Amino acid sequence: MAATDFSFAENRQPRHPARLLKAAAAYLAALLATAFFAFPVYWMVASALKSDVDVAAYPPRWSFEPTLQNFHKLFNELGAWQAFQNSLFIVGIATCLAMIFGTMAAYALARFDIGGKNVMAFEILSVRMLPPIVSVIPLFIIARQLGLFDTPWLLIAVYVLNGLPFVVWVMRVFIQEVPQSIEEAALIDGCSRYECFWRITLPLLLPGLAATMVIVFMFAWNEYLLASILTSRDARTLPVIAASAIQPKAISWGLSSAAGVIMSLPVVVLVLLMQRYLVRGLTLGAVKG
Amino acid sequence: MEKDGNVSDTTLSSPPLDLRAAEADRARRAGEKYVPWVLLAPTTIILTLVGFYPLVYSLYISTTAYKPTQATRYQGFVGIDNYAAGIVDGQFLHALGLTALFTLASVGISLVLAIAMSMLFSQQRPGFVLLRTIILIPMLITPIAVGIVWRTMMMPDLGVLNYLLQAVSLPPLLWTGSYETALASMILVDVWQWTPFMFIIIFAGVKALPTSPFEAAAIDGAGPMRTFFSVTLPMLKPVIVIATLLRLIDAMRTFDTIHLMTRGGPNFATDVVSVYLQRVNFRFFDLGYGAALSWMTLIVILVTVLIFVKLTGFMKLVALKEDR
Repeated sequence: MAATDFSFAENRQPRHPARLLKAAAAYLAALLATAFFAFPVYWMVASALKSDVDVAAYPPRWSFEPTLQNFHKLFNELGAWQAFQNSLFIVGIATCLAMIFGTMAAYALARFDIGGKNVMAFEILSVRMLPPIVSVIPLFIIARQLGLFDTPWLLIAVYVLNGLPFVVWVMRVFIQEVPQSIEEAALIDGCSRYECFWRITLPLLLPGLAATMVIVFMFAWNEYLLASILTSRDARTLPVIAASAIQPKAISWGLSSAAGVIMSLPVVVLVLLMQRYLVRGLTLGAVKG
Repeated sequence: MEKDGNVSDTTLSSPPLDLRAAEADRARRAGEKYVPWVLLAPTTIILTLVGFYPLVYSLYISTTAYKPTQATRYQGFVGIDNYAAGIVDGQFLHALGLTALFTLASVGISLVLAIAMSMLFSQQRPGFVLLRTIILIPMLITPIAVGIVWRTMMMPDLGVLNYLLQAVSLPPLLWTGSYETALASMILVDVWQWTPFMFIIIFAGVKALPTSPFEAAAIDGAGPMRTFFSVTLPMLKPVIVIATLLRLIDAMRTFDTIHLMTRGGPNFATDVVSVYLQRVNFRFFDLGYGAALSWMTLIVILVTVLIFVKLTGFMKLVALKEDR
């Protein structure tokens, strides 16, 4: 083995010393960048798996006995299970509604000749620019007055609103990319517009829909500000619970790290699975990934 | 509409079906007039009720002295008093300035890093795909979790960052604990979390670059630096502009990580506008004043975005989609 490696290096080196140096520099830079971005993630996972003694140790312990006690505590004492269910319910419904309504609107904007559709599209886009701090106060007051405070419903409505610009803009581009001639052929064959959409266009849109859905899900799942203001006990979502885990004087870093892991895991898994269209979705359809 | 014309032409030319088909077609077209509006209705309703109505309501509140915790205090109409008070509120102006500084530094550093990383990872080397995927993870982590883990790492006495600094014999830092380093620490966290976002967008642009301009540059004898600044960067402008604008909008409203890590402290060193507004609204419950400040912030953000859009021709980049 060693001999082969050596002869390989011998063969290569005299011919391309500069190239080898360039490759080494590239790998060094790439590994440094990866280390910078990966280390805090590793640290979060490691802290979540450490016991209370290990997590508070200094100098930091690099090798330790992993334990799930933080996760046990999180679910048994902090009500994380309820928060997880709340998050799933609120974000799930909001994502589905945003997808359905947004795709309907996108279809109208992409396929029909209607006046003022660009104005409409930019109005929808402007939601993306609106800082939540502006609508926080009125939403808080409305929630109190309508008795919607600490219920999932207003939060669902807000997350639908926040998801719509992504769905409308990205799906509009995806729909435009389905050639109209396919739909026309179906129309000629006697399909109604409705059938034509369900049987012809929708199947072609599925990858785009899935990718958009992941992004809408991610932004709603990670949202904290509105969730912390519109809920207090019963409808608390995961980020609210996790933030409250570090309120007291005696902060349990293992516990809050465990909350961070539980919160982030679904999004990381989902998005990494759907990576292909991620750029498309994040840039509201403007950049092909 | 013209396609429907095609449809009826074709159906009419097939005799056995012609009557039924023509009738169905007419019915379809009559019904279709309403279809786009039905399709747009749910979005419009949500946009109006959840988006537009709270905005108008907030504008109304901003003209009152609404403060629900003090029942005896005057709560009614005060005109533009809240706005007038906002303009001379030193704390608010300080927060706006900090937000500008935070945004400029964070987005600027992220942009440079993202471009450099895009160039680096555009080389096709074994293992780079995996490293690229790992680098994406920070932008997917819940901002609250990001705050938690960085707060753990930045603890002055127990944190791993100071341990690492001392391991390479650098002096330890107080991170978010001192006035001098707190804002820089928050910028570091923001850069860590959102550089991946700019990176994947700009990387997509680098991947889509055509090869011929580079061949031409090579033939003309341009060195790597010259090629990068005169060929690569100009061709990447659209993706850079889009990534920067999206990041700009989000950086100006950063709340979660700062709220979790410093609450605006120490001594207001990280008191960006969203953190200050949160305090006015939900610590002091000065909702009328808070609404006025939010509106002023909104206007500042809108003006910034508009200036950016004007300077970069962003609309043209997006509107291209319309012409296809």
